[in-house]
Amino acid sequence: MRLLRVAYPHPGFPDAPYERVAKLLAEAEAAVEGEEDVISQGLDDLDAAAGGDFDVLDDESATAAVAAITDSAFFARVHATFVVTFYDDHEVWDLLGYEGPSYDRGGYLHRGFDDLDWLPRPRITEYDGPPRPELIAGRDAR
Amino acid sequence: MTATADRDLDAELEPQLEPQLEPETADLGIDIDDSDEVVVIIGSGAGGGTVAYELATRGIRCVVLEAGPYLIADDYENDEWAAFNQMAWLDLRTTSGSWRVAKDFPNLPTWIVKAVGGSTTHWSGATPRFMAHEFAARSTYGQIDGANLLDWPIGLDDLAPYYDKAEIAIGSTHRHGRAPQPASNNYFVFANGAERAGYRYYATGPYGTNAEPYDGRPASIQDGFNFQGDKHRSKWSTRVREIPRAVASGTCDLRPNSQAVRITHDAAGKVNGVEYLDASGGLHRQSARVVCLAGNSIESPRLLLMSASSLYPDGLANSSGQVGCNYMRHTTGSAYATFERPVRMYRGETMAGIIADEAKHDTSRGFAGGYYMETLALGPAFLASFIEPGEWGRPFTEKMEAYARTAGMWIVGEDMPQATNRVTLNDDVKDALGLPVPDVHFDDHPNDKSMRAHGYEAADAIYGAVDAVSVHHTPPYPSTHNLGTCRMSASADDGVVDRWGRAHDVSNLFVSDGSVMTTGGAANPTLTIVALAIRQAEYIAAELAAGRL
Repeated sequence: MRLLRVAYPHPGFPDAPYERVAKLLAEAEAAVEGEEDVISQGLDDLDAAAGGDFDVLDDESATAAVAAITDSAFFARVHATFVVTFYDDHEVWDLLGYEGPSYDRGGYLHRGFDDLDWLPRPRITEYDGPPRPELIAGRDAR
Repeated sequence: MTATADRDLDAELEPQLEPQLEPETADLGIDIDDSDEVVVIIGSGAGGGTVAYELATRGIRCVVLEAGPYLIADDYENDEWAAFNQMAWLDLRTTSGSWRVAKDFPNLPTWIVKAVGGSTTHWSGATPRFMAHEFAARSTYGQIDGANLLDWPIGLDDLAPYYDKAEIAIGSTHRHGRAPQPASNNYFVFANGAERAGYRYYATGPYGTNAEPYDGRPASIQDGFNFQGDKHRSKWSTRVREIPRAVASGTCDLRPNSQAVRITHDAAGKVNGVEYLDASGGLHRQSARVVCLAGNSIESPRLLLMSASSLYPDGLANSSGQVGCNYMRHTTGSAYATFERPVRMYRGETMAGIIADEAKHDTSRGFAGGYYMETLALGPAFLASFIEPGEWGRPFTEKMEAYARTAGMWIVGEDMPQATNRVTLNDDVKDALGLPVPDVHFDDHPNDKSMRAHGYEAADAIYGAVDAVSVHHTPPYPSTHNLGTCRMSASADDGVVDRWGRAHDVSNLFVSDGSVMTTGGAANPTLTIVALAIRQAEYIAAELAAGRL
């Protein structure tokens, strides 16, 4: 948990979605043959490098400790799992302001697909001035 | 998930759907006997699906072998990873070369679809045509070191009538009387930025999704998820148009979950059948009078190479040695810009926005060929994986926290064909069927890098003109535009197929997908693949009628 919050800091976010990723990492660990302890060993190594307990490091020291292991198989597993899982978590979608599927509610047609109010409404048809030179028939290709 | 107050309010509104379409069924058409010598079409995407429709509706019996399942609208998932796992081509592949995809996604060189409809299931819909000079890249650009440029054996005049037919089939907006797509929030930012940066040739299309009801399918409800199949069927694909009409014609036998593994030939060297594996691994052989190969630019050359024989020791149709070579993926990149105020780029049609001003050959920019810029949006799930692969820490999470204030665009332009960028059989690695996996080797050409850098600068100018807080340059995704590995040529010495897509070496073997592209142009390739397929099918039908095939 501390590792995830240090490596992927969203200060205002609650612990719950982080906890779901940590749980998945722990569960998935046992499932891969030959890598049964990659997560627990990686966490032990982090603790050892921190002089005993990674969790008590301040943010700056903890971030430096993560930076030292980003090339490891352990971190590769953590990273791949985190980016795929955390940002597919619907609580995180809400926190980011993402509304997800809309099909069952009639799409975004009447729910703000064009509600941007800080720029003028742009032209949607093609330019009605002279056509692009590249499209004029018979023009020398060069 | 947690329901927010906003969502509860929304739920009280009546959904404003158009009248319900007929429920879909996954009809497979007639049963054709394995020993019946018919036209066998391998693949059901833009090329294969179109050829099947054009032949079957002319009364020509054909079998379509599709490696993937038949997914219909109800099956599609409006969830990025669920849809990806449902329809992406995930069979093992390997990569080599200096492209970044080989580092970040070593077993996922492409992002294409394995399902009925092929990658038209996933395409986003932009339908620009090739420009005249792009058919004559060698003559126009001259000799470029390291580039294996060649003029196409056909020109825009040959293809123009078929572009018309393809646009009418697809229902391209802004063409043949079709209405434009409305402006989405992402387009507001894109088009205003373009105007202020001095660009003029921008619009919400041409785009292959209905803005108004057309061809029996409804208008878009701006529900996004273009890459996930379109549950509303407003988006054209061969899955909603050509395939159901082909099987309804009574002359077509569609076989999903059928992976072609070898094309066989007779003693005279003409192809006479296709061996394929069904879903349970059972081996079948369909007899063939003509074979149309449309497996996309990785699987098509792979199948030709796997079909090597004593008569064709280097692979079928490969006397030139060009099968698998000249692999192109378009020069791409994305730019994601953050703003102080909301954008919500995910609402609405994903790619209904195109700027064409840079699609020109103007070497004062430092490179040959040109590129388009097109609106693009990803959900948080995909954006996290692709915006800057491998990045962690606060720079990464800040990008994600800006999600609702982010606008996105894609840069797509012509890349240089190179003989060394190629698809080969990796005999050291076997797939689940025990077959050698394709290895995809790619190195960017210096021209590609210069063009990409220019595109990123253009994106900076466009988004800067509407007061972006930041613009991030995202590297190319696993390739969606896969081209060139069975190139079309006038001479049998330097290409695989002729002006009709017919193999130079084998008179009854055709290639019907984007792998025939001699050079890639700047345009998104689907429209051109469909136009070429309509033209090819017309030729095959005439040759069959004349008794020459």
